[in-house]
Amino acid sequence: MELKNLAKYQEELFLCGRCGDCSLADKTVASDRDVFHPCAVKNVLGFEAYASRGRIMVMNDLLSGDLEINQDVVDWAYTCTTCKNCQETCTATAEGIHLPDMIEALRKDLVLNGFEMPKHVEVEQSVINYANPYKEPAESRLSLFGDRVWPETAEVVYFVGCTSAYREQEIARTTVDLLTKIGVDFTVLPDERCCGSVLLRLGRTKSFAALTEHNIAAVKRAGAKKLVTACAGCFRTWKVDVKKQGYDYPFEVLHITEYLDQLIQEGRASFASDVPLRVTYHDPCHLGRHAEVYEAPRRVIQSVGNVQLVEMETNKRYAHCCGAGGGVKNSHGRLSEQIASDRIAEAEATGATVLVTACPFCHRGLTDGAKLKKSSLTILDLPTFLLPSYKGAGTRHSATASTLKSTFMEYLRQHPRIFEGLKKEAVIDYEVEGERFHVLVTGKNTIEVVPVRAENPDVELTFSPGAVRKLVAFEREDDYAHQFGLFFKEPTHDEWIRFVLRLNIVKLLMKGYRRFAQKAGLI
Amino acid sequence: MATNSVHPLHADIASIVGEPNVSDNPVIISAYSRDACHLTAERPAIVVMPRSVEEVQAIVKLCAERGTPIVPAGGRNGICGACLPRTDNAVMLDLVKMDRIVKLDEDVMTVTVEAGLRWAELIHRLDERGYKLGFRGPYGGNVGTVGGSVSINSIGYAASKYGPSPENFVSLEVVLADGRVLRTGTGWNPDAQLFGRYSTYNDLTGLFLGDHGTLGVKTKVTLKVYPKATHITYGDFGFKTLENAVAAFHEVQKRGLTEELNLLADRQSTDTFFPGFLDSHPEIHSMFASIVQETDEVLAKRKMEIIREIAFAHGGKDLGNFASQMHWRELFNLVQPLYNNGFWLNTCHLRPIPTIPKLMKGVWAIFERHKLLKNGIKWIASCLGSERTYATGWVTIFVPTKDKMDLGLRAWNEMLDTVIATGGCPYWNGLLWEKRALAKTRSEFMDTYWAVKKALDPRGVFSPMVFTGGD
Repeated sequence: MELKNLAKYQEELFLCGRCGDCSLADKTVASDRDVFHPCAVKNVLGFEAYASRGRIMVMNDLLSGDLEINQDVVDWAYTCTTCKNCQETCTATAEGIHLPDMIEALRKDLVLNGFEMPKHVEVEQSVINYANPYKEPAESRLSLFGDRVWPETAEVVYFVGCTSAYREQEIARTTVDLLTKIGVDFTVLPDERCCGSVLLRLGRTKSFAALTEHNIAAVKRAGAKKLVTACAGCFRTWKVDVKKQGYDYPFEVLHITEYLDQLIQEGRASFASDVPLRVTYHDPCHLGRHAEVYEAPRRVIQSVGNVQLVEMETNKRYAHCCGAGGGVKNSHGRLSEQIASDRIAEAEATGATVLVTACPFCHRGLTDGAKLKKSSLTILDLPTFLLPSYKGAGTRHSATASTLKSTFMEYLRQHPRIFEGLKKEAVIDYEVEGERFHVLVTGKNTIEVVPVRAENPDVELTFSPGAVRKLVAFEREDDYAHQFGLFFKEPTHDEWIRFVLRLNIVKLLMKGYRRFAQKAGLI
Repeated sequence: MATNSVHPLHADIASIVGEPNVSDNPVIISAYSRDACHLTAERPAIVVMPRSVEEVQAIVKLCAERGTPIVPAGGRNGICGACLPRTDNAVMLDLVKMDRIVKLDEDVMTVTVEAGLRWAELIHRLDERGYKLGFRGPYGGNVGTVGGSVSINSIGYAASKYGPSPENFVSLEVVLADGRVLRTGTGWNPDAQLFGRYSTYNDLTGLFLGDHGTLGVKTKVTLKVYPKATHITYGDFGFKTLENAVAAFHEVQKRGLTEELNLLADRQSTDTFFPGFLDSHPEIHSMFASIVQETDEVLAKRKMEIIREIAFAHGGKDLGNFASQMHWRELFNLVQPLYNNGFWLNTCHLRPIPTIPKLMKGVWAIFERHKLLKNGIKWIASCLGSERTYATGWVTIFVPTKDKMDLGLRAWNEMLDTVIATGGCPYWNGLLWEKRALAKTRSEFMDTYWAVKKALDPRGVFSPMVFTGGD
């Protein structure tokens, strides 16, 4: 039996060192990362076969013929939520072993070889026949909005997505209500079709191109500069998969959390809860690990008056999955609910009364997990959480409350040569006096200094106030670099820097950090 | 999909541990076909995840009655093929669900944990209570279990002061082949605390350390703990010759100056560990990195000053402390990023520090003969000081692509021979070392071992064929 898609990963499968961090690594001592038993599936099912290390061994056996492909293999292949936590945890290659891609490649091969999950056949047929996976008539897609008339063109297109349109309709309604209240010039596509995410996740890709081409043309017709989606699955598909498949589009794709963050920063919207609330946030895998949006939703929640955001034990890059992704909810419903139930337990442990997420799949999955666990936790999607707290326009956020932070940011803007040698898109996050900003390298000796925390920095630097005061006094970049190195090598009680490498050394070197470190005399 | 229920003991084991904790499905078994090395043996026929000593007892009794082999596999994070079955039909015990901290006894400064607990978790939990371990786990300790380390003598963090893992244990709880539970050290007295390994009788703890799971299933281990030391100093020192580096390294070890780490490496190894680190020092051909941890700041600083003085006395150059700081920060992730260079073939062993140059000359010649670097095969040839005057030797090569594996294996086999020929003693055995070790082992040693094995496990239930040659 030919496994031509999986075979492309043969060399990478060879590179897995089978260290096992992908399922059993612990938090805190692992390079200051917050990893904790990353594989949400193995955490329920127990055996190694369900975590990345085991999956890689199974895939090697499939390629070598040591394991026969049968329905057991098919069942197993669809137990992975492709949440990517294993890849994020993996340090075996610069990017981590691409297990989610491998699983999707294997699923493609299984389909090509005639191995079917009956439910998945139905899903694909539904997308082909109805442009959605739920066998709902395509023409009823917008009926949840009543008889509202949508403009033909607008600056923003709200891409509703099938799950919000047909199953999690409250998310679609509150998103529309929120954008309307804020006064956004937006519309929805009259003939929106499924983004194709479900097909990619299940390995049934033959209709993806037609869907994408249709949707791109529709957004172009609407003349939109921005496409906003409240579904993490749609967002990841637009932002990552569509481009990976070779398509380009002349508009910006934003998740609703990013767009609301912009509106809040611009002073176009503000929120305050009428009662004090302790809230925790669940990172959808397709928004977080797959598209690297971690901070925007948190900034939005933190902007809401009377609300305290508390983090779960696993969060951001290492957040546990809700179990609803990767087709698992569809093919292994009980497993999905058990995974979600584990996540609910983490949320409850924070003492929060509200669990906010930003994806209709997560919302559905977590709600089912809460039922299984008999939890009283309130689970809300972000727009639904925000809507009752809307207080009209706000004030423009400067995000530069600390003078020292402003001074440091300005200094770095004036001295871009500090970042000489770093490749475009290198990102360093800075912390001083508990406040964050980041430097994004935009080209040779050009940088952007952004007054908020980076979504996914290469390196995180923390400076003592005394260190910053000394550094910003240097005229020459070389003197800055020398002192920077000294603060690391010979810290004093008042003058020190600390750093956390968020990428492994090989990847950092590929991004040009060797020169950065050499100038500082560190290497 | 957990099981396909064809193994003769499936139903009985399922009645002990529950259906979700046992599987004989070939897809599940496939994931237990290797450990963290390239070697292969038999696959287990059925995998079980017990949750308590009582469950282990019941499984062992059942297997003993039926004459079915058992392979305890800890977290299966070993890199020598020690936990892979040598016979068909074996029951494999994946012990990671036995991961509780049973008791932190602050009166006698010991902690008792279930054998499947991971080192990283244990360190973290002790840290919260203001304590640290002596030996702090092998590289790969995010996942490596405490029980696994006991069974294969693993070595790693803080070995520079506290020695390899077995030096740090005072007591074990072991399920014997007849299903009874043995408690060693002061554990012979049911009314005593667990505080001493050597007590009243002879050292039965030692009997099970390094047994590769052949004499029983370890279910609990008791380790020494120490007050947390928050003052850390770091130093990296470069040398023009390996001989000078080794002499300084030896002196540091003899005087017991480092705790957390004293790591020696040649130039290419440094470049593999940390590309670019020696770019500004073309004259340097060897270096060591030291980390001192103390409860007192002045003491930590003074120890590093003395290490610097020793390095200078042997012609060393101060390279700063970036490498040692990064080493510390990476902790258990130190080794994994090395996989960036390919799949590893290692030669882990112990040796007296003065013999390091002899080993290195031997392996350098092999690297040269096989043109490893030209073939994209990098190496780390490094040594970690252990206790006082010996070190672990890690000569490890990284095979970047599958098609280079044959070349890698040729060089690796020569490296194994060189290690043995230069007086190296593997600290673990497994498929990796067994043939070579057996070829050198005095018969009295093995005869005694087999007599003990026969007495404790007359039907040969535990890990059959281990220590017989590797095939």
